[in-house]
Amino acid sequence: MKKIVIGVSAAVLWLVCVVLFVLFAMGGGTNAEHQFTVLTVKEDAVKDYNSMPVFRELAQETGIDVNWVYNTSAQYSNNTDPVGTKGIDAIYHTGFSNLKLYDYGRRGRIVAIDEYLDSMPNFSRILTARPDIAEALKSPDGHIYSLPRVEEMGLKAYPNILYINKKWIEQLIDANALPANVQLTKEQLKDGLDLYRSEYEALLEQFKARDLAGGGKTVPLTFVSGNWQGNESDFIASFGVPENREHKTVVNGKITFTVEDEKWFDAVAEMQDWCSRGLISTSSFDQDESQFLARGQDGRYGSFYWWEKDTVLAKEFRDDYIIVLPLKDDDGNRYVGVSNEQEVEKGECVILSSCEDKEGLLSYFDKFFEPDYSAQLNYGSVKSGAFLPNKVDGKLIPNDDHGEQSADDFRMRNAPYGVVYLTEEVWQNSVQMESRAQLRLNNLNDYVKPYTFEGVQSIPNLNYTQQELLDLNTHEFSLSNNIASWYTQAVVGDAAPTKASWLNLLSVNRDSLEAVKSINQAAYDRYLLAVSAE
Amino acid sequence: MSNETIATASEDVFDESLDGVGEVGEDLVEQAYEALDGGAPAEEKKEKHPKWEAWKTNFRRHGWILVFIIPAFLYVLVFCYAPMYGILVAFQDYMPGDSIIGGSTTWVGFQNFRTFFSNPNFWDYFLNTFLLCIFGFLVGFPLPIIVALLLNSLRSKKVKKGLQILYYAPHFISLVVMVGMLKLIFGSDGLLDQLSKQMGGDAGGLKLFLTPEAFRPLFIFSGNWQDFGWSAIVYLAALSGVDPALHEAAKVDGASRFRRIFSVDLPAILPTIVMLMILSVGNLMSCGYEKVLLMQTAGNLETSEILSTYVYKFGLMNGQYGVGTAAGLFNSVINVVLLVIANFTSKKLTNNSMW
Repeated sequence: MKKIVIGVSAAVLWLVCVVLFVLFAMGGGTNAEHQFTVLTVKEDAVKDYNSMPVFRELAQETGIDVNWVYNTSAQYSNNTDPVGTKGIDAIYHTGFSNLKLYDYGRRGRIVAIDEYLDSMPNFSRILTARPDIAEALKSPDGHIYSLPRVEEMGLKAYPNILYINKKWIEQLIDANALPANVQLTKEQLKDGLDLYRSEYEALLEQFKARDLAGGGKTVPLTFVSGNWQGNESDFIASFGVPENREHKTVVNGKITFTVEDEKWFDAVAEMQDWCSRGLISTSSFDQDESQFLARGQDGRYGSFYWWEKDTVLAKEFRDDYIIVLPLKDDDGNRYVGVSNEQEVEKGECVILSSCEDKEGLLSYFDKFFEPDYSAQLNYGSVKSGAFLPNKVDGKLIPNDDHGEQSADDFRMRNAPYGVVYLTEEVWQNSVQMESRAQLRLNNLNDYVKPYTFEGVQSIPNLNYTQQELLDLNTHEFSLSNNIASWYTQAVVGDAAPTKASWLNLLSVNRDSLEAVKSINQAAYDRYLLAVSAE
Repeated sequence: MSNETIATASEDVFDESLDGVGEVGEDLVEQAYEALDGGAPAEEKKEKHPKWEAWKTNFRRHGWILVFIIPAFLYVLVFCYAPMYGILVAFQDYMPGDSIIGGSTTWVGFQNFRTFFSNPNFWDYFLNTFLLCIFGFLVGFPLPIIVALLLNSLRSKKVKKGLQILYYAPHFISLVVMVGMLKLIFGSDGLLDQLSKQMGGDAGGLKLFLTPEAFRPLFIFSGNWQDFGWSAIVYLAALSGVDPALHEAAKVDGASRFRRIFSVDLPAILPTIVMLMILSVGNLMSCGYEKVLLMQTAGNLETSEILSTYVYKFGLMNGQYGVGTAAGLFNSVINVVLLVIANFTSKKLTNNSMW
């Protein structure tokens, strides 16, 4: 009898569980009360968008209720056709390339947003005020298929600052072991240290020879080769060539490849020499960002390139490092190149053609361009503590106190990022810049920007024709492979690179070099024309 | 003996080998059925297409056995043949979501192939693929056979079992972990690098992950270290079917342990070896891209960029699905040609073949 009772109750319990589970699952799937469903790429650590104060506020103000559904970035990258996802009206954080946007656009699967500008007052105002942004967003057929992210802080063009271990130099001074060609006093050891490349080299040599980190762990100079920040471009630039990680830049209105410059070869040859003597760590060429950051925490770096030292170093070592001005060449000149990282990013959000009320959804997204919303989307909501509750002089003031959490952690969990419009004008009138960003900007303004090559500019977001896009795709793939391969082998190789092998690299890739240059030049000329006409 | 060998061999080999046996046994079966039918004299039957008649009788009696093939047949049809229509993408301007056959399909002829072949580095990628795979095959194919023969000759069963587990355990390490281990040992700042620096080596250090020449050895030897024990299992299974009487007879004749490996064991597993070799040759141009991609650095691109990584980067990451499929199709065609050549050669030389 007892067994029967136990059996029956177990069965009932099991049934109840099943029913509850089914009800729960069904409940999760229904969203009748929501007007729109938007798919977004979100990591689990980031808070639920649906309960974020900034989105609640938006819903209240616009009367439009959006239900956010999620893919993690791993799921999303496996999703070959996100636009085909059933039951969604838009995709946020699409990450679509120019070609992909155009491919979806010309198939009519995503909406040409320029046809709905009437319901987007903010966005249309931006397009009128900033012809360069309008031009950057256009696809080959002249339509705009995505909403942009615009975050203009003037930071991205200069992603490298050179730091050096002040404490180690002090130790050298104390031990009276400064290299013969270096005259430094302890008073001089502060941000903006002024060094010739030869002096810098002698210091690194001393760091290594005396193994100042101890236990053979000393890393005289390190960086993350080819990374978007903290790469070796400015080291190469010190030889007088406007290098960036793509090796291509605008010089006096002409698209130019730095690899074609003989000074680039000289820089590579010099780097090989430094590498072979152990002054540049070879791990600079096979480590990724996280490995670089992990290795640096214990203060074993003599010198490194990165945007800010705080992420690279554990707290107790942060004060040991100071900023070095761009290295002087023998004639006393300093040079810095500019990167091609864009502050206007395409492909942040697309609306699917299957959306039934495109005007409605676009009018909702249009609100994202307002300064208050942009700021909260980018840093976290006022209610969650990203900004102080009260504005000062009409400006949102960032809250730097996040208790136990680091500023990065707080922002990562609370800010959805994505479609924002934060420009010079917004920083001046509506939002105060984060103190970290301000510090970074000040450092760049003081120690890096003034030394930019004359006449050198980044390549802006260009607008290519379909054929140009396809040609670029083919040529750039092999070209960047070949350059990266030659360069890395030349630098880490045991023997000094020969001029013949460099010339051979150029001649083998001549067709691709010329094709990429001429396509970019044509697009750049069109860009200049369009921007000046409007 | 050969039948016993087959019975214990892996499933694939079993099926394939049986075909061979079938051909030999066909006449016998035919004769047997003729004898069973008993009625008409053999000569009369021959005039009425004897093979066809025998087949009919055979089918009438045992046709129902064919039902057992249906699941396998369906499996192959649904999972191997049906998806093949996807290769049409190689001739289209395609992106996911487009219909592959339909009114909206944009056919572009051989445009994707032209794009693929016009890549200035095409021959480099082709050669890299070929060399990586052929070296991998040359090292990786004999190794498990040798290991299986040696393990099989061990006297102590316990030692044999222990070694076998030790050898195939690495097979279960995931690729990512495996490459992580490689980087920790062979990478810049890795174990070997540190050791060489401590022992007063070159100041630049050992940088095997940045040296194109080191890529293939690292890839092949790590791959074989991981898999030789696992691959040996098939051969060990085949060896366990060798009739002990043969060994005893050889012993009586005074054959040494070494002699017996060559004269008893090796001939016994030869059909298995040949079959696996034909299959490997058929896969010669496809060594998976995952591990190559994980081990790739800017420094070793010269040897580590192979066709399948190109398909992955250019086709999938760049969204050039048509070109990616064209490259994949090209690779498969080469594989098929190699397979046919290997099968033909083996048929001529050893009388073992897949068809």
